[in-house]
Amino acid sequence: MNMKLNRRLFTLIAAGAFSAGLFGPALAADLEAIESAGTVKVGMLVDFPPFGILDASGQPDGYDADVAKALAEYLGVEAQIVPVTGPNRIPYLLSGQVDVLVASLGITEERAQKVDFSKPYAGISIAVYGDAGVQVADAAALAGQSIAVTRASTQDTGVTGVAPEGTDIRRFDDDASSVQALMSGQVKLIGLSNVVMSQVTQAAGDRFDKKFDLSSQVQGIAVAPGSDALLEKVDAFVAEAKADGTLDHIHQKWLGEPLPDFVKTAE
Amino acid sequence: MYQFNFQPVVDSMDLLLHGAWLTVRLSLMAMALGLIVSVLGAIGKTSGIRPVRWLIDVYVEVIRNTPFLVQIFFIFFGLPAVGVSMSANTAALVALVINVGAYGTEIIRAGIESVPQGQIEAGRALGLSPAKIFRYVVLKPALRNIYPSLTSQFIYLMLTSSVVSVISANDLASAGADLNAQTFASFEIYLVLTIMYFLLSLGFSALFAVIRRLFFTYPASR
Repeated sequence: MNMKLNRRLFTLIAAGAFSAGLFGPALAADLEAIESAGTVKVGMLVDFPPFGILDASGQPDGYDADVAKALAEYLGVEAQIVPVTGPNRIPYLLSGQVDVLVASLGITEERAQKVDFSKPYAGISIAVYGDAGVQVADAAALAGQSIAVTRASTQDTGVTGVAPEGTDIRRFDDDASSVQALMSGQVKLIGLSNVVMSQVTQAAGDRFDKKFDLSSQVQGIAVAPGSDALLEKVDAFVAEAKADGTLDHIHQKWLGEPLPDFVKTAE
Repeated sequence: MYQFNFQPVVDSMDLLLHGAWLTVRLSLMAMALGLIVSVLGAIGKTSGIRPVRWLIDVYVEVIRNTPFLVQIFFIFFGLPAVGVSMSANTAALVALVINVGAYGTEIIRAGIESVPQGQIEAGRALGLSPAKIFRYVVLKPALRNIYPSLTSQFIYLMLTSSVVSVISANDLASAGADLNAQTFASFEIYLVLTIMYFLLSLGFSALFAVIRRLFFTYPASR
């Protein structure tokens, strides 16, 4: 009995200590420490093509990797890329295991309360695309048209939200099937992200064009709160990379077009 | 502890019933057309004409040895490349008919071959025309013999039709998937879906029992 209680007490204390560690104050990254160490630890996703992928030799690659390398070069240090995942990327940053996140982190208000964001360095937009011959300028013109979306995706929510009565929304289980429906002519329109659309364009050329935008999400480089000197440097890097065409070049390389205007002009 | 919440399912019962109605319609049409394909296939297979037999053999073997999912993708996504384009619901029906036709052909062929030669000779001895012999002496007893296998194949067809949601047909499974995507009440939705499919199966079984009573029992006494 006594033994049991002690054990329970121990578990409780251990759990308390553990959660204090998890939810304790974030560890700010120190610019001087990074410069003297000569490396910046960058967290990035490796399962989010084309932003973060693993190349044939197992090395992190993609849009984010190129941005991370350019950032390290700007800081005059080496980039040490640490693979993170969607759910654990912010904990990695807040616990000081990485100095910055170049992890396709969409800038949202909830996240901005936990981390400090740089100016946007990338973006994903969702739009209605379709046969170049079909005239659809806005949501009202969707009536009577068939449009493919991936079930439960952001574009499903977006299209369902704006589509007028009489729109034939065809829901498929994944992007591949939705795109297949468009390519095979089973639907004339599709709700899709610019990321997937760039792959479609590679395959189909100029058969399809953009009809109208649904929504867009910009992504920022994130640092732990209180890392003001580092954030200033990162912001300066993003501004310069936008101005001198570095981001255009990287965007062209991975997404087949220069950095979109909504990213360039976003604050 | 997970809190059960059936409210989303109750609120969207219309959607599910609409889906269930399409599943019923799709299944009934596929069964009727599939039966015709099966009977024609079985006649061709038991006929003496070799090229016809070979053609049907190819059809039966190809369909029975490939997954239904691949067949339906081929019809919906593949055929438009050669100019044959149909709506999702039509493509679903065509795929189901082609699929059940192949299995039905084999089942009915087995039934036809189970009819003893002597019975056909008896028909001839009675002076019946070949068409009448086929209809009353061969086909009807054949269908009576294989009725249980054929109807269980039809029930299986109804359950298989849940796959057609992959080409955006609006059947019951598709309605459930849409609802699940909106509400994330997976347990409740799929529990209700399971019950609905089970009830549909029972309904079809009852229907088949009635048809058997009406058309396939021996006239015991008049």
